[in-house]
Amino acid sequence: MTASFDVARIDTAAERSAAAPRRSLLSAWQTAILSALLIVILSALVIPPFLLLVQGSLTVAGPTPSTSTFGLTNFEAVLSGRHIVTTTINSLVFAAASAALALLLGWATAWIVERTNTPLKPLAYLTAIISLGTPYILYVTAWLLFFGKAGPVNHLYRTLTGNIDVLINIYSMAGMVLVEGFLWSPLAFLLVSATLRNANPELEEAARVHGAGVWATIRRVTMRLSLPSIMALAMLVFIRAVEAFEVPALVGLPGRISVLTTDIYINMVARAPPDIGGASALSVLMLLLVFVLLYVYGRLSRHAERFATITGKGFRPRPFDLGRLRYVAAGILIFNFILLLLVPMLMLVWVSLLPFFQPVSAAALKLVSLSNYRTVLESGQLELMLNTLMVAVATATIAVGLTFVAGWLAVRRAPCGWIVDRLATIPLVFPGLILGIAVMQLFLAVPIPIYGTLGILVWAFVINYLPYGMRYSASGMLQIHRELEEAAAVCGATPMTRLRRIVAPLLAPALLAGWLFIFLMSARALSLPILLSGPRSQLMAVAMFDLWGNGQGTELAALGLMWSMLMTMIALVFYVVARRSAGGALGRA
Amino acid sequence: MLRVERLTKIFENSTDQIAGGIRDASFTLDPGTFFTMLGPSGCGKTTTLRCIAGLETPDDGIISVDGRALFDGGGKRINVPVEQRAVGMVFQSYAIWPHMTVAENVAFPLTVMKHRRYSRADIEQAVAKALAVVDLAGFQDRPAPRLSGGQQQRVALARAIVHEPRLLLLDEPLSNLDAQLRDEMRSELKRLQSRIGITTVYVTHDQSEALALSDQIAVIDKGTIRQIGSPQDIYFRPTNPFVARFVGATNLLAGRLVGAANGRGDVEVLGGRKITCLVPSAIADPSSVSVSIRPESVRLVPRADAPTIVGDNCIPGTVTGVVFLGATRRVDVVSDGVTLQVTTAADVLLPADGAVDLLFAPERTVALPGKVS
Repeated sequence: MTASFDVARIDTAAERSAAAPRRSLLSAWQTAILSALLIVILSALVIPPFLLLVQGSLTVAGPTPSTSTFGLTNFEAVLSGRHIVTTTINSLVFAAASAALALLLGWATAWIVERTNTPLKPLAYLTAIISLGTPYILYVTAWLLFFGKAGPVNHLYRTLTGNIDVLINIYSMAGMVLVEGFLWSPLAFLLVSATLRNANPELEEAARVHGAGVWATIRRVTMRLSLPSIMALAMLVFIRAVEAFEVPALVGLPGRISVLTTDIYINMVARAPPDIGGASALSVLMLLLVFVLLYVYGRLSRHAERFATITGKGFRPRPFDLGRLRYVAAGILIFNFILLLLVPMLMLVWVSLLPFFQPVSAAALKLVSLSNYRTVLESGQLELMLNTLMVAVATATIAVGLTFVAGWLAVRRAPCGWIVDRLATIPLVFPGLILGIAVMQLFLAVPIPIYGTLGILVWAFVINYLPYGMRYSASGMLQIHRELEEAAAVCGATPMTRLRRIVAPLLAPALLAGWLFIFLMSARALSLPILLSGPRSQLMAVAMFDLWGNGQGTELAALGLMWSMLMTMIALVFYVVARRSAGGALGRA
Repeated sequence: MLRVERLTKIFENSTDQIAGGIRDASFTLDPGTFFTMLGPSGCGKTTTLRCIAGLETPDDGIISVDGRALFDGGGKRINVPVEQRAVGMVFQSYAIWPHMTVAENVAFPLTVMKHRRYSRADIEQAVAKALAVVDLAGFQDRPAPRLSGGQQQRVALARAIVHEPRLLLLDEPLSNLDAQLRDEMRSELKRLQSRIGITTVYVTHDQSEALALSDQIAVIDKGTIRQIGSPQDIYFRPTNPFVARFVGATNLLAGRLVGAANGRGDVEVLGGRKITCLVPSAIADPSSVSVSIRPESVRLVPRADAPTIVGDNCIPGTVTGVVFLGATRRVDVVSDGVTLQVTTAADVLLPADGAVDLLFAPERTVALPGKVS
């Protein structure tokens, strides 16, 4: 499961397999051709966005396109004044606080689920799986409705106290942190529980045998052992929160709290004509920031793996007996479930049944009807769903296809395999919004007429999800004992035959997990397509964003619920596949 | 048949500067030979095997089979790709493909062959024959994951011989089996090899496997072949202290060579006692030799009794410990402050005061160059 989600890594498959002796099994010309082909394709995908972004940031717009000049004016404009300082500090504070919140919730849940005899564990998994399928934008709107001025929390407060003020102002930094932390906690849960599962239970048992009690063992062994990986995870969530777009746009902008991503967005949409130069300059600076953060993360997580001893024996550690406390722990799971799943979903269900937004009350019950669902189904949203599915399927298929070969070349140390590895991993530094700007500029510059079509979306999505595919493919490859391939070579099979008849079937579970993961991520992505979607190439998450902006929250709720239901089913399949392929003893010695 | 000359393949480890691999390995095998490379883990034996298979590219040297060069690091560099070398190989992990049935696993070499197309009937027949050889007739449709360790090993063997290769390479094939199955498979492997008469290169760290199976053994240490010879040569006439100690248990005594002729000589050990030994290899420095005496070559007699066979070496000693091992007994005897191990039958009586003489024949006493390390 580590492989399934832990994708923001800048280290490479080659480094991961550094423990293996340096052997190049793949020396034949077929491999060389494959390497060359992959390098060409990946370079064509990955490198232009960087170039266009740098070019855009250095281009100083004149009154007409022909009078544009090159210079550092954009950077000067961005860096002058106090605004950039405020924005950067906002970004970092927002990211750090929400990472801490997500990890706190995620770690507590994961530990309870993986290491204790608490009942009701499936609730945590249910929460996590549904969150995988649901667009973040839907969650954010649900919590906005719940905590908003007219939402049940503030409504109840006013009713009880007679006060006309609000208890919670969600459109604040605290509100942003709260919502972002909630958004990330299910994923933090999955990541931490994977780490806990991989830990060697004998280390804990040894502490118990040598006289440590439950709490001493947790404090002095379990916590200390998982600290490096928790640090790495914290860094990962931190990076993702720096890049976050949904919460800053929906919560931060109305509350006048700007972060780096929303500043870039404002430059692109709130100015006419769009300030591409300013947005590009800010993007370049942000890429540098993310690159540094990813580097630190890479160091942290390599450190973390020292302790992650996968025994491969397939036995589960004996859970701690919490005694009576396990009901308290079950209470935490229930609270978590209510907070992260039940509240937003019920909120959406309530809103979706109303013609316009109303606080929860008996009076409003009279207005309840299914008309929103009817409107959504009749108003051509079917095309929206089809668009989204097509983009997601195409993205997942292309990305997995490319990274299947790339992962094989990288892990088996083909000539130039490391270049393939680097190329497929580099797009990690792109926050979705920035990649969107880069790809937009690319297709404005080159005469390929896919601007405004689904094609440009697939192009951008494939770049964005290459590292994810690589992660699945490479870690799947590492689980396939190299002797399985060597045996085929000795039997007389050429590299292509080995790839087709040995590697592909054995890697299939990992590739399927990767395909489903990329599918789910593409189907709910907002920040990447938001600038690339045209009127004829709308995607679900973008449409939801527009509905919210137009005040059509009730229709949004109806549409979102139906969509999440579909996606949750796919997420469920993903979860089963990912668990099976990660535990895959297939081909292990 | 198989000729390996000056084969060199060095692995540099950048972190701790320990270089593995093999240096200047040379040997030639007659057709049908069962050849074993024996050595401790990390000595380079598997590297050599993988170089022969084509899974590693040597740094230098020549590998040829039946006069056809598979690798030549010389002027016009030859390196036949692994898939064109047409050898059979059994891997340490067996490498049975879990997504195929037994028959699909065994048939694989025939289905990927480039120079010849086999009909379905030919393949079925060849698979059946190979499975019959390894006593797995009728297992064709069994999925590979549903095989026991011993069965997997047999399938791996069937796959390695189905295309009738000229050379069979075995990489520690018995090391993953439990002790009883290992003994069984060992004798079976020997029977099978002599029946199909295939030239075999076998890699192991287990000296009893090597002694039981081989026609020729190469003992390898730290990337260097230390001795090549028949099992009897290796056991009774080691040419250096490493081989003497690695193959079977032995006592090594430091000494000084005082005269040698016709492969025999006298060595002063234990503060001036002179014993007669075999001197199988040239000894450059007479002042620094080791004498190897196998524990089972020594007889213990009470000090009071006179030596019974004239010509045997005789050293006095004191029994300090006895370990019962079932059929035999290991006795520790101290002589001049040096402890020697002696294996005796379990029922040999030892004198109550522990004063004994150690008797051992010069033919079973070997002088080796180099100090006891």
